[in-house]
Amino acid sequence: MIIRKKLGGRILVPVALGVAASVSGMALFSQGAAAATVSGSVGSANTNSLTYGGTSGAGNAPITNLKLDSSTIALGKTLFVENCSSCHGDSAGGTSRAPNLVGLGAATIDFWVSTGRMPLADPTVQAIAKPSRFTRAQTLAIDAYVSSLATGGPQIPVVNLGAASLSVGEGLFSTNCAGCHTITGVGDALADAVYAPSLYPATSTQIAEAVRTGPGNMPRFGTGNLSDQQVADIVKYVKYLQHPNNAGGIGLGHVGPVTEGFVGILIGLGSLMIAGYWIGGRAH
Amino acid sequence: MNYKPIDWVDERLGTAKFTRKSLNKIFPDHWSFMLGEIAMYSFFILLGTGVFLTFFFVPSSADIVYHGSYAPLDGHVVSQAYASTLDLSFNVRAGLVMRQMHHWAANVFVAAIVVHLLRVFFTGAFRKPREINWLVGSLLLMMAILEGFLGYSLPDDLISGTGIRIAYSITLSVPIVGSYLASFLFGGQFPGDKIIPRFYTIHILLVPALMAGLLGAHLAIMWHQKHTQYKGKGKTEKNVVGVAMWPAYAMQAGGFFFLTAAVIAALGGLAQINPIWMYGQYIPYKVSYAVQPDWYMGWLDGALRLFPSWEITGFGHMIPTIFFPAVLLPGITFGLLMGWPWIERIFTKDTQAHNLLDNPRDNAWRTSIGVGVMAFYMVLFFASSTDVLANAFNLSLNFVLWAFRALVFVVPPIAAYVAYKLAKEASSASRAGRPRKAMVVSRSNEGEYTTEESDPRIEVELKRSAMHSEVPQPLPEEASFHAAEATGEGTSESEGGLAMSASSLSSAATGEMSERPSGGPEVYQVPPGTPGSGGGLFSPRGPKLSRSFEDPEEEK
Amino acid sequence: MSSSTPELEQEKVKVGLVKTSESRFEKVVAVSFALSLLASIGLGIVYWQGGQTQAEGALLFFALGGLGFGIVAWGKYLVPQGPYVQEREELKSPESERAVLIESLERGVTQIERRSFLVKLLGVSIAAFGVITLFPFIRSLGPQPKKMLYVTNWKKGSALVRSDGSKVRASDLEVGGVLTVFPEGHAGGAISQTILIRPSFEDIVTKPGRETWGPQGYLAYSKVCTHAGCPVGLYQELTQQLLCPCHQSLFDVMTGANPVFGPAPRPLPQLPLEIDSQGFLLAQAGYDEPIGPGFWERA
Repeated sequence: MIIRKKLGGRILVPVALGVAASVSGMALFSQGAAAATVSGSVGSANTNSLTYGGTSGAGNAPITNLKLDSSTIALGKTLFVENCSSCHGDSAGGTSRAPNLVGLGAATIDFWVSTGRMPLADPTVQAIAKPSRFTRAQTLAIDAYVSSLATGGPQIPVVNLGAASLSVGEGLFSTNCAGCHTITGVGDALADAVYAPSLYPATSTQIAEAVRTGPGNMPRFGTGNLSDQQVADIVKYVKYLQHPNNAGGIGLGHVGPVTEGFVGILIGLGSLMIAGYWIGGRAH
Repeated sequence: MNYKPIDWVDERLGTAKFTRKSLNKIFPDHWSFMLGEIAMYSFFILLGTGVFLTFFFVPSSADIVYHGSYAPLDGHVVSQAYASTLDLSFNVRAGLVMRQMHHWAANVFVAAIVVHLLRVFFTGAFRKPREINWLVGSLLLMMAILEGFLGYSLPDDLISGTGIRIAYSITLSVPIVGSYLASFLFGGQFPGDKIIPRFYTIHILLVPALMAGLLGAHLAIMWHQKHTQYKGKGKTEKNVVGVAMWPAYAMQAGGFFFLTAAVIAALGGLAQINPIWMYGQYIPYKVSYAVQPDWYMGWLDGALRLFPSWEITGFGHMIPTIFFPAVLLPGITFGLLMGWPWIERIFTKDTQAHNLLDNPRDNAWRTSIGVGVMAFYMVLFFASSTDVLANAFNLSLNFVLWAFRALVFVVPPIAAYVAYKLAKEASSASRAGRPRKAMVVSRSNEGEYTTEESDPRIEVELKRSAMHSEVPQPLPEEASFHAAEATGEGTSESEGGLAMSASSLSSAATGEMSERPSGGPEVYQVPPGTPGSGGGLFSPRGPKLSRSFEDPEEEK
Repeated sequence: MSSSTPELEQEKVKVGLVKTSESRFEKVVAVSFALSLLASIGLGIVYWQGGQTQAEGALLFFALGGLGFGIVAWGKYLVPQGPYVQEREELKSPESERAVLIESLERGVTQIERRSFLVKLLGVSIAAFGVITLFPFIRSLGPQPKKMLYVTNWKKGSALVRSDGSKVRASDLEVGGVLTVFPEGHAGGAISQTILIRPSFEDIVTKPGRETWGPQGYLAYSKVCTHAGCPVGLYQELTQQLLCPCHQSLFDVMTGANPVFGPAPRPLPQLPLEIDSQGFLLAQAGYDEPIGPGFWERA
C-alpha cells in the first residue's frame, strides 16, 4: 500500500509501508530559503521535467555541474566546525573516528548531508536517510567550504531530465541498479545489516550523486562505465519509479509476491471463509 | 410448468433416478464444508479468465522491438510473450482486470485447497472409505502448485525468468538423469527459446485437462460416498443430516460461486498483482533483488535458503546441494501426504469406515502431528522472505537467516506439544466450545431454590428461525417414494398409490393442515404463512396460497 | 425471536410477525439483485467507453456480489432449511455380486491364458512399440547434454565486452566500480556472463596459481551462482562481497569468491584476465571449471 504524502505543496512522495523509508530527501524542497528551486511536476512518464533555477545556462547537456557560490565558504566553515569537525577534524582531514573528506568533491559531501545521513547519530551502523539538519542553502555552503579545501572529485550534478530518455533509463536501471535496489526501487536488505535503501525519497541530484560517488557499500560508476547521458537516463527512470504506472490498482508496496501472497490469503481467502461461515453456519 | 423435457431425456437416458437422488441429496450444514467449494469456484474462474487470456497471449520467445503504449519500455527488444502480455494488459479492453483476476484466483485457489486439506486432515475425513479421494485431492494440490508455477513463468518478465532459471538448476540437480532431463525440458542449454512455448502447452492443455479429470473424479466420489458430518443430535454413521440439495443447498452453493467471483474480481480490479511492466523483459544477466515466487512455492524457496551448503561428491559424481531441499523435500512431503491414511492406520489399527468426523481436540495425537508439520512448512514459507523481513524490521540478513535455521527445528515440536496439551485440555472439558445451556433458577413456595437446565425445546426455538424444523425429517418426496416402494407398490405401475401419497404430499408442502398419513413417516408440516408457502413481496397480499407442487390429479 | 415458547411462536405466526421478518429478507434480496443489475449496466457503460481496470473491478464486484449475496440469502432465509435426514446406502456390494465378478474375471483369464505363447508375444510387441515410439519422442525434445555444461564462450584472448557489445578498457572502471561483461561476440550470453570488479582495497588474497589473473587489481568471476544459478549481481563495495539475490549466498571477492554465508557450496569460478597493449581487457583463457550449479556428472 502506498501512502502519498504531500510535502512542500509540490511533490508527492510515495512511502512504502513496512519499509524503513524516510522522506528526508524531500526536506530541502520544503524549505523556502533553498538556493535551488524546483518547478514542474513529477507525475507521469511523459511530463517529467525538473529544472533548477539556480544553474547556469544548461543548454541540452544532460548533466551540468552546480556552481557553488564562493561567498558562502565562510558560512560553510562555521557550519562544518559546529556540526562535522568533532569527527572529521577541523580541516576535514579525518580522524580515527571518521574518514578524510578533502578532495572527495562536492557531490559526495552534498549527498551525505542533503539526504540527512550526515551528521551521523551512531557511527557503528549504516547511515540511514533522515530529515536533513540543514537548509539547502546551508548544505551548499558546507559543500562549498569542503570542496574549497582541495580540487578533485565529482561536482554536484544537476540533471536535465528533458534531455534524458525514459526507456534507455529502464534498460540501464535494470542492468546496474535493480540487483540491490530491486526492480521497483523499493530497496532491500543486503548481507550483514547493510541495506540498499529505497529510492523513493531521492531527488534527481541525489540519485546522480549516488551513482557517481558510490556512497557506503554502493559501487562507484565513473564516466568510463556510465556516461553523463546514461546517468541522466537512469535518473529519469528512477523519478518515474517514484510515481509508477499503477494501472492494476493499489501497488501493495511494490515488493512483489510477498505482499501479494498475504493479500491473496488474508483478504481473498479470508473474506471468502467469512462468507462461507455465513453460508454454511455451524452444526447444530 | 412443462415437464416434457424430463420425460424426453429419461426415455432416452434413464436419468430420472439419478436426478431425483441428486435433487434430494442431503448436505451437512457446516462452514468448514464450504472450503473445498472456494477452491472449486476459483478453478472455474481460472478456466474462464484463462481462456480469455489465451486469445491474446503469444507463447513465443522470438524477439521483437516493443513500440506499444507503455512508454518506459519503448524501443526495447522483448520476447513476443512479454510484449503480448503488455498489450493484453494495456490495449485489450478488460484485459488487465482479466489477467489480474487470473493471478489472484490462482493465489486463492491454492490457498483454499490447503485450508480444505487441513480441514479434511484434522477431522479425520480421509479415513475409510475416503482414502481414494484423499489421494485424488493430494494430486490436485500438486497439480495446482505446478500449474501456478507454469502460469507465473509465462509472461517472461524479469522475476519469473529468474524463477525458470532456478527451475532449470533444480532439474539439473536430479542424480543420474538430471542433465538429460534439463536438456530435454529446455531443448538444450538454458535459456534457449523453447521453454515458454512448452510451458504454455503444459499450462493450458496438459495440466488443466488432468486437473479437470481429477476434479471430476473428486466430486463424483464425494457424491457417491456422501458427505461426512460432524457428531451431533440425530447424526449417526448411517445417515446424513442437513439441508436438501434442492433448492436450499443449490442456491447457497450457487450464490457462493458468485461471491467467490466477486471477491476475486474486486482484487483483480483494485489490487495490483505482478505488474510485469515494471519488471521488464527477462534477460539472463539482469536480476532484481527481492525475487520471490508466488506464495505456494514459498516453502520450497525457503527450504533452498535455509538448507546448508552441503554438496556430496565421490566416485566421480556429485549430488548438488539443491537436490535435498528442492527435489527430496517435495518428494518426501507429497509421499507422506498421500500415504497418511495408511500411515495412521499402522498406529490406530482402525479398519472401520467412518462417516462421522473427529473433533480435532478428541484426537490429540493426530492434531499435534498436523500442527507440528504445518508449523514446519510455515517456517519454511516465512523463510522465503528473509530479505524482505530483514529490510522491513531493520534486522541483519544474516541474523534472520540463522534465526530461521533455528526456528525450523524449534517451532514444530513446540507447536505440536502445545497443540497436544490444548487438545487434551479441551477434550477433558466435555462441553467446551459449545453454547451453554440456560439454567433456570426457580423458587418454590417454601422459599427453596432449585436450579435445572432449561427445556431443550426452548433452546431450539432460540437458535432457529421459522425456516428450521425441530427434528431432522426425511424429505417428503423421498419419504413417500420409499414408503411406496416398501409397501410393494410399483413406482410407475400403481397409479393409485402414488397419487394418494403425492396428494398428501402436496398438501403438506403447500401448508394445508392435513392429517398425518397413518403408518407413514412423519411429514414436516409447514404452518400457514411460513416462507416458501407463497405470498410475499411480489405477490398479492394476504394468506393466499400458491401451489409449489403440481397435483398429478390436476394434470389429467 | 427471543424468549419464546412453541405456543408463543404459533401466536407470532398467526399475527404475522414471522411474515414481517420474511418480507424484510425479501426486500434485502431484491435490493441485492437490483444493485447487481445496476452494476452490470454500469459495467457495460464503462466497457463501451473504453474500459478502466479499477472501475471494472469494482463494478464486477457489485454485479457478481449482488447476485451471490441475493441468491445465498434467498436460499438461506426464504427456503426451508430442514434439517433433513437421509440414510446412507451401503457402499459395499453384496458378497454374491463380488463372487460372480471374480468368476467372470477368471473365466476370461483362463480363456486367454490357454494360448500362453500368444500372450507373451503380445506383451513383448506392446512393450517394443511403447519403447520405440516413446524414445524418439523424448529424444527429440532436446539434444544430449554432452559437454554443454562444461564449456562457456570464453576462450584465450576473448575481449571483454559490455552488454551492448562495446569493448572494455582497463581505464573504464573507477576503483570501486563493477560491470557485467561477456566474451566478444556473445554479448548478453546467459552462461558466459561474468562480473568484472575493481575493488578499492588492495589486500587481495590470491589463490595459488592465480597470481597473474587480476591485472591492475581487476577481478572477474562467473556471474552464475553455484547454488541455483541466479546472477550474482549484488556487489557490496565496502565489504567486498557479492550477494546472490535469490537465496542470499555471499561470496568474498577478496579471497577468490569463496562462499562465506548462505547455501552456496562452491566459490564462483574466476576468469583469468590480461590487458593488451591498447589497454583493452582480455581473457587469458576460459574458465577452468564448469560454471554454475552442480550436476551429477560433475566430479
